[in-house]
Amino acid sequence: MIEVQKLTKYYGSFCALKEVSFSICEGERVGLLGPNGAGKSTMMRILTGFMPASYGIAKIGKYEVHEYPLEAKRLIGYLPERVPLYDEMTVKSFLKFVAGIKGLSSGEWKNAVDEVVHTCGLEEVYNRVVGVLSKGYRQRLGLAQALVGSPPVIILDEPTVGLDPQQVVEIRELIKNFGGKHTVLLSTHILSEVSLLCSRALILNMGKIAAEITIDPSRPSGEIEQAFLKAISKEGIR
Amino acid sequence: MKSVLTIGKREFISFFVTPSGYVILGLIALLTGTAFVLSFLTYVQISQSPSQFGYSSVPDFEETFLSPYFVFCGIMIMFLSPIITMRLFSEEYHRGTMELLLTYPLHDRDIIFGKFSSALTVLLFAVILIALNVFLLLPFTEVEWSVLLFGLCSVFLMGMAVLSIGLFISSLITYPITAGLVSFGVYLIMFIIGNVAEKLPAVAPLPNTFPLLLKNVVEKIYGLFRALLLELPLDNHAKNMALGILEPKDISYYLLCTAFFIFLTFRSLESRNWRK
Repeated sequence: MIEVQKLTKYYGSFCALKEVSFSICEGERVGLLGPNGAGKSTMMRILTGFMPASYGIAKIGKYEVHEYPLEAKRLIGYLPERVPLYDEMTVKSFLKFVAGIKGLSSGEWKNAVDEVVHTCGLEEVYNRVVGVLSKGYRQRLGLAQALVGSPPVIILDEPTVGLDPQQVVEIRELIKNFGGKHTVLLSTHILSEVSLLCSRALILNMGKIAAEITIDPSRPSGEIEQAFLKAISKEGIR
Repeated sequence: MKSVLTIGKREFISFFVTPSGYVILGLIALLTGTAFVLSFLTYVQISQSPSQFGYSSVPDFEETFLSPYFVFCGIMIMFLSPIITMRLFSEEYHRGTMELLLTYPLHDRDIIFGKFSSALTVLLFAVILIALNVFLLLPFTEVEWSVLLFGLCSVFLMGMAVLSIGLFISSLITYPITAGLVSFGVYLIMFIIGNVAEKLPAVAPLPNTFPLLLKNVVEKIYGLFRALLLELPLDNHAKNMALGILEPKDISYYLLCTAFFIFLTFRSLESRNWRK
């Protein structure tokens, strides 16, 4: 469902991604791990069509993101790291706006919005202005806008950063409930989050895939930690 | 088209759930209303005793009062329009919502025309406010419909060109206040250039000792430069139209100016996709 081949991104002379390649199958939940500045957000921004790669191929479904941006974007629901929202709108009008932009007809948007409001637990704040929502509700709303129209691929950039422990648990439960309906690519630097939510983890370090780990829930969680530390040490870079 | 309407509607509503829509329409109503009353009272005084003001008879109503009023309204809109345009793209960049917008399945044209159409709708409201002032006169005096119609058209076309410049500037700058100030500065420069160009001598002031060939070349360049400076200001092209004289060059100027800056906005937005 997601295919990346030799993806390279330069910011001026700085190389943020160096020939990164991986693929993610339909229905899979994959975590993108890495320290700050590893290139996780850059990878997500390229996959969502927000910025182009310098070289390489990024495909969503059968569409190359740079060549067929519209077709690729129709398959994606994206939650950026800072959860940018229109503060002056109400939750209802914001989700209706997103549904309209995603091409849902006036007959479809009500069902689509009702569904994500229910999934993300936004009933209580449905008529509230976005600007007064708590951080947890803003994160839920960010997830809800990504889920509107039920796109097959969900890309989440650090979805639990800055939340209190209870909100973190709630958001993780939400992501868990995506089930096999969506292919999920999740970026984080919280190792336990990946072991809880994903079946596979890609470790990015200094713009390269340093390791790939298949997560086995029966194995002790310390194993991911060790694999991560090994991968981000210089010896671990392939 | 549906996406253009969706974006335009959101943008237009957000003008009026934040103070900016009320501020700009309020200021336009206040300033154009005050100018209307003051210039009308002045015209009444002139028509009561024309000789006192240097006129041999009662001056023409349209030429003395109505046309300058429309040009004034256009200039007013020009200087107030940064309040509308500064938020169009800059605010999206500033609060990060551009990242959302650019990752939704939208063409650049949906975003640009959606935003521009919302700004045009606010402009239309401003023109309606100006028209209300003038329509108050209709029961008391006969007004030439061509002056009224083309005068209002000149205000709208001038506003449209100004909004397209502001839209482009907003697409380049991350901070709304900076975008607003830069737009204001550009309009001010264009306005001043017009006044300066009018004061320039028609022929290049060169000494007689200048070699003839060089003198001819310099005069040609000077003439071209002066003509360009005279044509550049936005308000100059509204003057004829506000008199009820419809010249294709004036309408073309506003339409081409709008198309040019919308084209530049397209290029500005597209530049993010240039592979580096």
